[in-house]
Amino acid sequence: MMGILSNLISGISLGSIYAIIALGYTMVYGIAKMLNFAHGDVIMVGAYICYCAISYLGLPPLVGIVMAICVCTVLGIVIEGLAYKPLRSAPSLAVLITAIGVSYFLQNSALLIWKSDPKVFPSIVKSMQPVQLFGGQLAISGITIVTVLCCVVVMTCLTLFISKSKTGKAMRAVSEDKVAAQLMGINVNGTISVTFAIGSGLAAVAGVLLCSAYPTLIPTTGAMPGIKAFTAAVFGGIGSIPGAMLGGILLGIIELFAKSYISTQFSDAIVFAVLIIVLLIKPTGLLGKKVSEKV
Amino acid sequence: MMLSVENIDVFYGAIHAIKGISFDVNEGEIVALIGANGAGKSTTLKTISGIMHPRNGKITFLGEDITHTDGYKLPAKGLAQVPEGRRIFLQMTVMENLEMGAFVQKKPTEEDFENVFTHFPRLKERRSQIAGTLSGGEQQMLAMGRALMSHPKLLMLDEPSMGLAPILVEEIFNIIREFHAAGTTILLVEQNAEMALQVADRAYVLESGVIALSGTGKELAESDAIKKAYLGG
Repeated sequence: MMGILSNLISGISLGSIYAIIALGYTMVYGIAKMLNFAHGDVIMVGAYICYCAISYLGLPPLVGIVMAICVCTVLGIVIEGLAYKPLRSAPSLAVLITAIGVSYFLQNSALLIWKSDPKVFPSIVKSMQPVQLFGGQLAISGITIVTVLCCVVVMTCLTLFISKSKTGKAMRAVSEDKVAAQLMGINVNGTISVTFAIGSGLAAVAGVLLCSAYPTLIPTTGAMPGIKAFTAAVFGGIGSIPGAMLGGILLGIIELFAKSYISTQFSDAIVFAVLIIVLLIKPTGLLGKKVSEKV
Repeated sequence: MMLSVENIDVFYGAIHAIKGISFDVNEGEIVALIGANGAGKSTTLKTISGIMHPRNGKITFLGEDITHTDGYKLPAKGLAQVPEGRRIFLQMTVMENLEMGAFVQKKPTEEDFENVFTHFPRLKERRSQIAGTLSGGEQQMLAMGRALMSHPKLLMLDEPSMGLAPILVEEIFNIIREFHAAGTTILLVEQNAEMALQVADRAYVLESGVIALSGTGKELAESDAIKKAYLGG
């Protein structure tokens, strides 16, 4: 019983990280209608920045996180401006290939700068003792609690931002119809840049959380979580923010349970099998919707 | 002169869609561009509103050269367009759509909304509804109300009667007259030449990317060539 509960909590925690990454995928897809496959590698850059700030410069973890967010936000804007913006009217396949190119560029740049030897990521929640429940039968680590809290805060802020703020509404307008948005006086390119900035800032947070929970940092650290989070975004319904959240958390839980009760080696295969089944039953994903136009 | 279009050439790739057309819109006028499907009417509007840019020629709005201005900067200068096919934001509420119309202002005021609701009382009833659930006529009203939110000096309407029942077409044209009476200058693109020529002070007839005829609405409505080609007579 405690085992199930413990796995569930770990799953939610891992899923929270996937969810935060998936938000970046889904927002960029919703607004720029492209799959930014370099998103996973932005996570890795964020983690390295935080690692350098803490281990080389001896800064407190919070400063490291803020630095990671700043660097990734700028990185996101630069990637969008240099690699994707010139391809705004190009075929989507060209954009996809460019995204894969950016992904390799980031991984190889990291390899040049930080080398291939694994870095041991210092936990950002050293001081927090694990919370003991049921007379010590169940221990929840500090990083688990922080991860889930972060996810809740990010989700709440983002939902409020998208639904209430002027920029958020402009983002929804651009996501629905770029031409109509431009006719309203909305700067479409500027809005796309803001979306990349937010998505990349979130990727930095996810990177720090991920490496705090699984402390081995190498230049390809972001690749697999990136693909999983992309899967989560599709699973929940790509373009949908609550969908990314739900998809991420479910994916984390499924992965953890598959690892614990079926097979560690097959856990990823099981995760993707579940995705295939969901897409066969509901092609738009769990919360994805199709809006038909009235004539 | 409010808007002046001088010798613009517009291309879609290699296709020469607009071939050196020139026309003007004076303050307080209703000017109509009529012509068959594919004559270049919508392309002309898209070029004025900065969705497309001309290869040659010049567009001046309120004395300012806007030929190559980014389209998103134009609403703040007083230019609004109701696009072809309405293009309202289907997943947003009626109120949010209207707010988007006022995007270039700091914050839309109560009066701005009330102004739209006096023209379109039905939108007030449906203010918190998702726009995608509105009927075709209501969507057209929302598209027009949304454009009105920015207090345009020049309002451009692209095929406002398209796909609407005759009774609704009447209603839409009455509202165009109301807008005009309230002091908005109007540039209207229509395939429904009969209705367009009734409201227009002046009109231009586009044929394959060139202006074939021009004159007052009345003159054109009575011209034999127009009757034959566009009015079914």
